[in-house]
Amino acid sequence: MKFKEWLLERFPIDYEKFVEFNEKIFIKEPIPTHMKKWLFVMGATPLIIFGFQVLTGLFLTFYFMPSPEMAYESIRHITEDVRMGYWIRGLHRWGANLMIISLLLHMTRVFFTHAYRKPRELNWIIGVILFFLTMTISFTGYSLTYNQLSYWATTVGTNMIKEVPLIGDLMLFFLRGGDVVNTNTLTRFYTLHVMILPGIIFFFIFLHIVILRLHGVSIPEGFEEKYYSFYPHHFYKIIIATLFLLTLMSTLTVVLPPGIGIPADPSVTPTHIKPEWYFFPTYRFLKMVSLHVGIYATAAFVLVFTFWPFIEPLLSKEKRKQTIFSRTAGVLTLIITLILTIWETIVI
Amino acid sequence: MDTVKAQQWLIGIFSILLIVTLIIVAGVEMKKSRSFKPEIEIDDMSAKCITCHEKKGIAVKQIDAWKESKHAVSGTGCYECHEAAKDDFDAFTCTGSDILIGRHPTPKDCAKCHEQQVAEFADSKHAHQFWLLKNADRAVFENPIATRHGCEQCHNIGNIWPDGSVGECDVCHAKHSFSKSVARQPETCGECHMGPDHPQIEIYLESKHGNIFKAKSAHWDMNYTSKQGEPIPLEVPVCTTCHMEANETQPLTHNVSARLAWESQMTWSFRTVWNEEELGNWQKKRERMEAICSSCHAPDFYKTYLLTADLVNLQYNEIRRQFVYWTKKLTKNGKISRLEVNGKFYSDPVLNGWDEDPEHLMYYGWHHEGRRFRMGAEMMGADFTQWHGIWEVQEDLMEVIKWAAEHGDTEAKKIAESKHPAKFITYALYDMPGNAWGIPTKTNTTPFVYNNYPDYWDRVYKNVEAAYQRGLLSDEQWQIWLDRYENKEYYLGSKFSNSPVVDSTFNVYKKRNEYDLKKMKEQVIDLVLPGKSFFKGRKF
Amino acid sequence: MAEEDKKVNRREFFFKTGVFTALGLAILAFFRNLLLYIFPARKEKTFHKYLVAHEKEFKKDKRPKQINIGKTPVFVVPYDDHYKVMSGICTHLGCIVKWEQDKDRFFCPCHKGEFDRMGNVIGGPPPRPLDEFKVVVENHKVYVYVEDKVRSPWA
Repeated sequence: MKFKEWLLERFPIDYEKFVEFNEKIFIKEPIPTHMKKWLFVMGATPLIIFGFQVLTGLFLTFYFMPSPEMAYESIRHITEDVRMGYWIRGLHRWGANLMIISLLLHMTRVFFTHAYRKPRELNWIIGVILFFLTMTISFTGYSLTYNQLSYWATTVGTNMIKEVPLIGDLMLFFLRGGDVVNTNTLTRFYTLHVMILPGIIFFFIFLHIVILRLHGVSIPEGFEEKYYSFYPHHFYKIIIATLFLLTLMSTLTVVLPPGIGIPADPSVTPTHIKPEWYFFPTYRFLKMVSLHVGIYATAAFVLVFTFWPFIEPLLSKEKRKQTIFSRTAGVLTLIITLILTIWETIVI
Repeated sequence: MDTVKAQQWLIGIFSILLIVTLIIVAGVEMKKSRSFKPEIEIDDMSAKCITCHEKKGIAVKQIDAWKESKHAVSGTGCYECHEAAKDDFDAFTCTGSDILIGRHPTPKDCAKCHEQQVAEFADSKHAHQFWLLKNADRAVFENPIATRHGCEQCHNIGNIWPDGSVGECDVCHAKHSFSKSVARQPETCGECHMGPDHPQIEIYLESKHGNIFKAKSAHWDMNYTSKQGEPIPLEVPVCTTCHMEANETQPLTHNVSARLAWESQMTWSFRTVWNEEELGNWQKKRERMEAICSSCHAPDFYKTYLLTADLVNLQYNEIRRQFVYWTKKLTKNGKISRLEVNGKFYSDPVLNGWDEDPEHLMYYGWHHEGRRFRMGAEMMGADFTQWHGIWEVQEDLMEVIKWAAEHGDTEAKKIAESKHPAKFITYALYDMPGNAWGIPTKTNTTPFVYNNYPDYWDRVYKNVEAAYQRGLLSDEQWQIWLDRYENKEYYLGSKFSNSPVVDSTFNVYKKRNEYDLKKMKEQVIDLVLPGKSFFKGRKF
Repeated sequence: MAEEDKKVNRREFFFKTGVFTALGLAILAFFRNLLLYIFPARKEKTFHKYLVAHEKEFKKDKRPKQINIGKTPVFVVPYDDHYKVMSGICTHLGCIVKWEQDKDRFFCPCHKGEFDRMGNVIGGPPPRPLDEFKVVVENHKVYVYVEDKVRSPWA
């Protein structure tokens, strides 16, 4: 053990405390037994996918070029010429889709198991922030492909920002790096997507997990207060989930490869533009009502959604069980979101 | 499901699943959606030419065309073809430089690298400008300015240049891309080989070959290299496939005369003797053509087909004989006369003449419908053989006879006034039992000559034998014909014409035909409209 | 009892080894694919023929002919019944050599390097003979093999 002593002399930590700390937060951490059910893997899933997104995203930066002339061509190059390029890109693309799906499932699970109740309200808010950050990073990522669909979806999408009162115009100018979509826009979106947003998301994920661990995993209604240790059981579960996700994303890449579309033409707008599927509910809703009504209604919904853990107790005295009010609100939200999504999918 | 062991099982299973997936991933490749053009190394001299031309904006798209060509990749730039010696007929100094350039790269220039192709071309009838020089219509009938963009544009393919070379290489693979796929495009040949007097492109497009070509050629690579010993990579032939290109046994040649056995464009169809020292006799040339047919077709089919086309050529000659007989007779009797000044003649009773009907009809009977008749038969253009061919040839002949009758010729009068159905066949006949398409049953029951002359086939036999003995048909062809003759009941279908099964089918259609005619009569023929004609005194 | 334990332990051992080998292989396969991605494939070079001279150009005059292949100066040198095609770039520090007919040599003005007709060094600092191209003669035409390059933003 001479090396250990050598190191500890130059990196003077309390080794015993260090080992003990590690054991406490990783190996011996008590996991409630309800976590043995696969339904509850929806928390770890986005984390695993985030890891893959960072990895595949990093690899993509080896060949991607964020200029209007080369963005499309570099993605074509990755997909068609580079060895395993189509796979890395497919993993990244399908990872993004699966990330949003798993987040939606996770939020649904957390909501309906009342896990956001006191004292975990802040974690819920952080979770909501993470969700919107994910939507934003997906939006910026999609715009980097610079094909007709993505270019125009970005143009239309960013135009919405103008509607924010007071600072809308300034925000749009900053986002675009100019009055119209130009070279700066692509580079800014790239920086946002590759450096700024991942950093912020990483910070919030860290917070989310720390708060979760400090409180311990919340036990839903009807389950016993029994625990098992993180290693080996839960650890293996995470490994299985990782293997499964990687297999799933690879298979999806081979069976349903993400295409490259046609190169963006700023002078020609295609007849049918649509945003990515996870924006369908908002998109459909905004098409149904006037712009201002739409924006304020969406803002109101977002606020209620974010602060629900604080709002719910105001409406009911019930402390432990989820209120019927909450259940109804949740089910309604789910159904309306589903209907709007399907509607927008079917309609051309 | 909860035990650690179960977890480990799952890890094992999913690991294996993942390994399989990753192996599949490693094997999959995405389809390429774009390809890149090769880098062109431009030598100094060409760089000079290109820079100046681009700056001055002169013919800049030709530079792009050149960049697409194989010349560009292999280091053949501007100067390699356009260089000139001081006393060249087309030498001039390019404006704003001291470079001596030849305006007209001739086959002599092309032969610097493409000796074989130039030599082959010079041996072919493409290099034969003769028809622009002798007895040309343009000498008398068409005014000169018209012929600049007319006759001369096409026949310039055989131009004799001041430097002694012959030909125009860029007619088929156009400059400056010199593209093989353009040369192979039927419409390229069709730039000249079209029209009322030699509608080869129209005949080709009517044929099965041309039809399939139109349907499928968009997916073919027409830029391939034609190599002897390799199969033809196209599903159907284009012009160059049969007339020039290589297959398993034949080499590629730029001599289009190497595979043609007839002179079907001439006043009389005769077996070609073009360049026999190098190309062999007409049988050798026919063998070469058959070797190409054999890539796709069975010998039985193409030999029968070609024999029929050969008999059409010979039949044309007999009709031609009639035209010549009449025009010669009419000239001798002073009914028609030649163009002449100071004792020199400018028309010929057996070739041309533009001012009198018999001359005109004789010319058309050869130069237009007579050629369509023969070429249609050779290249599977049914309508050109029939309605644009023999029908119009017969009409021309009948007009000549009528004209002669009206102008006092007693022999012609006898024919014109005759009521006998054989009046239209005033010449010897060739024939062959059956066709290449199969065994008919009823079609050969109708011809007048079949039914009214019991010695018909004996007389035809003698004619075909005479042609064979003259060397106009090969031994093999005579054997094929004999086989058909000796089994004529089978090939004509007369063996089956009245069998119960054929008759029962035929009667169905006969009844339907009679019904058609009956209804036609009832609907419209027997209709008498109440409103009368505006011309007084008419019943209707 | 101990026997059974041993048996069970061995079975368990194989099982565990099997599982973790599978896992290890899966991880290796994953990293193998990742590494393939990072290291661009080395494409095999293909060549095409490039015309440099006609044989009849050398019928009377056996002087080396200088042409350019793109930007590279190149000399075509006839010897006996064959041809050598050499790069005109001096192998010392990259200047362009000149053919001196009277001295029967290639001369580099930068540091006075000298090469003979066949490209061998006969004087001066050049470390090795002039670079040669692969030559083929077809139909009385002299070709060299030039690397196929495409006009693309990717090498």
